[in-house]
Amino acid sequence: MTKPLLELKNVQMKYRRYRFGRVIKEFKALDKLSLSVGKGQIFGFLGPNGAGKTTTIKCLTGILDCDDGDIYISGKNIKTEAFNIKNIIGFLPEQVGLYGRLTPMETLEFYGGFYNINKKELENKSEKLLKTLGLAKEANRPVNEFSLGMKKRLALASALLHEPDILILDEPTSGLDPRGVKALRSVLLDLNSKGLTILLSSHVLSEIQEICTHVGIINNGKLIRQENISKIIDEVNKTDIKLSLRVKGLNENNLEQLENKKGIEIVRKTKIKKHTLLLLKLKEKLIPWVTDKLVSENVKIYSIEPQKTSLEDVFLKETEVSEND
Amino acid sequence: MTDKNEAFTLFLQKANKKWDSLAIWQPLIIAISLIIILAITHVVYWETNTETNPVKIWNEQQLTKNNETWNLEFNKDVGDSIVFKGVLTTSPRSETYKTDIITGKYSEGEGLVYSDDLHGKTMLNVDGMRILVNGNLTGKYFVSEIIIIEAHLIQNTSYFEKNGENITLIREGWEANPEDIKLASGIDYYFFGIECLILFAGFYLSLNRIENLKFHIYCAWHIAKFELGQGIKSPRMIVLSAFFTLFIVGMGWLLGDLQSGNADSTFFVANPNGALQQLCFFTFFVVSLAAIGVSVDSFHKERQANTLNMLLARPISRETIVLGKALGLTLVVGIPAFLAQVIGLSLMIKTGDLPTTSGILAFFVCGQIMIFTMICFQLCFAVSARSGTDVVIYGLGMWLLFAVVWNLLIYAISFVIGVDLTANNFENDPQFQAIASHLGMLNPGYVYQFAVGLLTHRTLAIDLEGIPGWLVLLALVLWPLTCLRLSTWLFKREMKG
Repeated sequence: MTKPLLELKNVQMKYRRYRFGRVIKEFKALDKLSLSVGKGQIFGFLGPNGAGKTTTIKCLTGILDCDDGDIYISGKNIKTEAFNIKNIIGFLPEQVGLYGRLTPMETLEFYGGFYNINKKELENKSEKLLKTLGLAKEANRPVNEFSLGMKKRLALASALLHEPDILILDEPTSGLDPRGVKALRSVLLDLNSKGLTILLSSHVLSEIQEICTHVGIINNGKLIRQENISKIIDEVNKTDIKLSLRVKGLNENNLEQLENKKGIEIVRKTKIKKHTLLLLKLKEKLIPWVTDKLVSENVKIYSIEPQKTSLEDVFLKETEVSEND
Repeated sequence: MTDKNEAFTLFLQKANKKWDSLAIWQPLIIAISLIIILAITHVVYWETNTETNPVKIWNEQQLTKNNETWNLEFNKDVGDSIVFKGVLTTSPRSETYKTDIITGKYSEGEGLVYSDDLHGKTMLNVDGMRILVNGNLTGKYFVSEIIIIEAHLIQNTSYFEKNGENITLIREGWEANPEDIKLASGIDYYFFGIECLILFAGFYLSLNRIENLKFHIYCAWHIAKFELGQGIKSPRMIVLSAFFTLFIVGMGWLLGDLQSGNADSTFFVANPNGALQQLCFFTFFVVSLAAIGVSVDSFHKERQANTLNMLLARPISRETIVLGKALGLTLVVGIPAFLAQVIGLSLMIKTGDLPTTSGILAFFVCGQIMIFTMICFQLCFAVSARSGTDVVIYGLGMWLLFAVVWNLLIYAISFVIGVDLTANNFENDPQFQAIASHLGMLNPGYVYQFAVGLLTHRTLAIDLEGIPGWLVLLALVLWPLTCLRLSTWLFKREMKG
C-alpha cells in the first residue's frame, strides 16, 4: 500500500470555555480520531451534525491545534511543519468569508500574497482561475454584489492559487442551487483528474456517492468506518433489498409459498379494497422468481417497486450503531 | 528524603521542558537576565561610590548655641569630601544669590549668614541637602535633574545680629565648585548603552531563530497594508480623523496663543515645552479614541464575516496576523494623526515659541508608539469580544478609563492616602505628585506625556516626581511590547493555535 497523503493518528480535541483564565466548561470534539487519505482520492467525510467533521477539517488546515495525536500531510507533521503543510493545502470553508469591498482580482492578490508567488505570476494565475471558474466577467465587481455561488467559486479560486497538493472542502455545496452544485462537481472532478487529492465533508450523501472514491464516516468525534466507495456499493448490492408489490387475487396459499422460499421475508401485508400491498425483503436475484411465481398462480401484478439500500442507509445504520454503543 | 529528590528531579525535568519549549526566545531571556544583573550592578555602583541619601547627612547637622557663639556642625571632619547623588529639588536659577540679598541675616534653612561675597554663588538644593557652589549655575542645571556633586566640608566664621545681640557663627557647611558637578547621566549612559546593546543582541538572536522570519515580516506587512487600505477609507475613520484633526489643530493654536497671555491667568502656559506637553495630552485624548474605535471590533468583525478562518488557513502564524493587524491599524490612525499633529504644532509655534527639537521629535515618534500601544491594548479585548455589545462596552470603557477616569482615580487614591484635596495648590503637593506620576506609568497616555516631557530636556537624568527618566523610557518600550504579546497570547488561546 502506498503511503497516504494525509493521515490522522489518534487525534483528540476539546473545546474549552474560559473565565478569568480558568477552564469552566469543556467539550470533547474529537476522540482518538484516525483516518488516512491516499494520493489522488476524492475522500468523502460523512457524519451527522456535531460529529466533528468541521473540527477535523479545522485541525487539518491548521485553523485549530489539536490537543493530542498527530496529523501528517505529505509525511510532514503539522505540529512541527505547519508552515510547509499550509503551503500544500487549499481550503474552502463552509461559510465563505470574503472582504466585500474587494474585487475578485484584489481578493486573489490579497490571499495570494501569503504564498511565495511573484506579482506577475499571481496576476496570470488569478486571471486563469477566474476564467476557469466562470468569474472572468466579474473580475472588477465588488464581492459584496456576488451571489453565494459566485463567492464560493471565488473562495475556491483563492484555495487553488498556490496549486495545492490537497484540497479540503467543508460542506462545499451548502447553500448552492442545483446548477451551482453541478458546476462545482464538474470542477472538482476535473481537478481530481489532474491529480489533485480532495477531501470534502458533506451532508448530501448522493453527492458523496456520486463523486467520491473513498468515504469515512465519523460520529461523536470517532471514525466509525473508512472504505473505498465501490466496496460499500458492492456491499449494498449484496444486502437484501425491499420489494414493494401491488397485486390482485393473492390468496393464503400464495403467501405460504413466498414465506417458505428461502431468502424471502414478508415484512408487511396491507389490504386496500381489492388490492393487496406487499412489502418483501429479499435478495435482488429472487425478484424474477417472485414475479414468475405470482403470474403462474394467476395473481395480477399492478405495480412492482424495488427499494435499493443506499449509502444513506449505510450511513444511518452505522451512526445509529455507534450512538447505541 | 527520596520524595524530596524525586520532587526535585521532577521540577528539573519540568523546568528543562519549559526551557526547551522557549527555544526561540532563549537568547532574549538570557539578555534580559544579564540586563537585570547589570541594572543591579548599576544601583550598587551608585550606592558604593556616592551618597545617595544627601538629606540624611544634612539632617545630621547640629546647631549649638553657647551665649553669643553658635556652632553649626556635621558628623564629619572639616576637609572631608563626599560625592552626593540626588535630584535638584529647586532650580539653580532661583537659588543664585543676587545683589538683592539682605546681608548680615542668618538663614537657618541654608545654614549661613548672608554676605556680599555670596553674590554670584548658588545654593543648591540636592534632595533637601544644601550645598554652596562657588559659581552661577543659572542655565547650566535645571530643576528635577539628577546630578552628582563632590562637596567638601568647610568651616568658617561669620557674624550677625539677632535681637540686638552680636552672634558669632562658627559654621560648617558643604561647598563645591562648578566643575565638581556632573549630570548622573554621564555614568548612566554607559550602563544604559550596554543594556541596550545586550537587549538588541538578545532580540536579534531570538528573531534569527524564527524560521522564515523574512517571510513572516513580509506577511505581517502584507496584512498591515491591507488593513490600511481598508481602514483609512472607512466612514468611521473619516469621521474620527476629521474630529481629532480639528481638535488637535485647535488646541495647538490655543496653546501657542496662551504663551503670550496674562501670566496670572489660570490658563497661562509658561513656556513652549510646557505647551507641547499639554498638546500631548490633548492628542492622546482624541487619538486614543480613534485608536480604540478602529481596533475594538477588528477580530469580531472578521469572525462575523468568516474571513478569519480563510486567513488562519494560510501559511502564516497567529503572531503574524496580530502584528500585521496592529501595524495596519496603527497606520490607519497614525497617518492622519501625524498630519493633524504637524498642523497643530505648526500653529502652536506660529502663535507661540519653539519647543526643543528633541521634544518635537518625541511628540511625533512617541505619539505613534502611543497609538500602537492603544491599538495593541484594545486588540486584547477585541480578541475576546463575542458580540457587538461587548465591542462597544470594551472600547468605550477603555477610553473613559485612560482619558477621563484616570484623574479621578488619582484623586481618589490621594484622598485615601491622606492628601488634603481641599488645600490651595494641592496639585503641587509632593505626595500627590508622587501618586500621580507612579499611577501615570500604568496609563499609556501619561507615559506619552512623561516621555515627551523627558525628551524635551537635554538629559535622561531627570526625576519626574519619584519616577526616574529611564523608567519612563522603559515604560514606553514595555507598554507596546507587553500589549502586543498579550494580545497574541489571547488570540492564540481563543483560536486554539
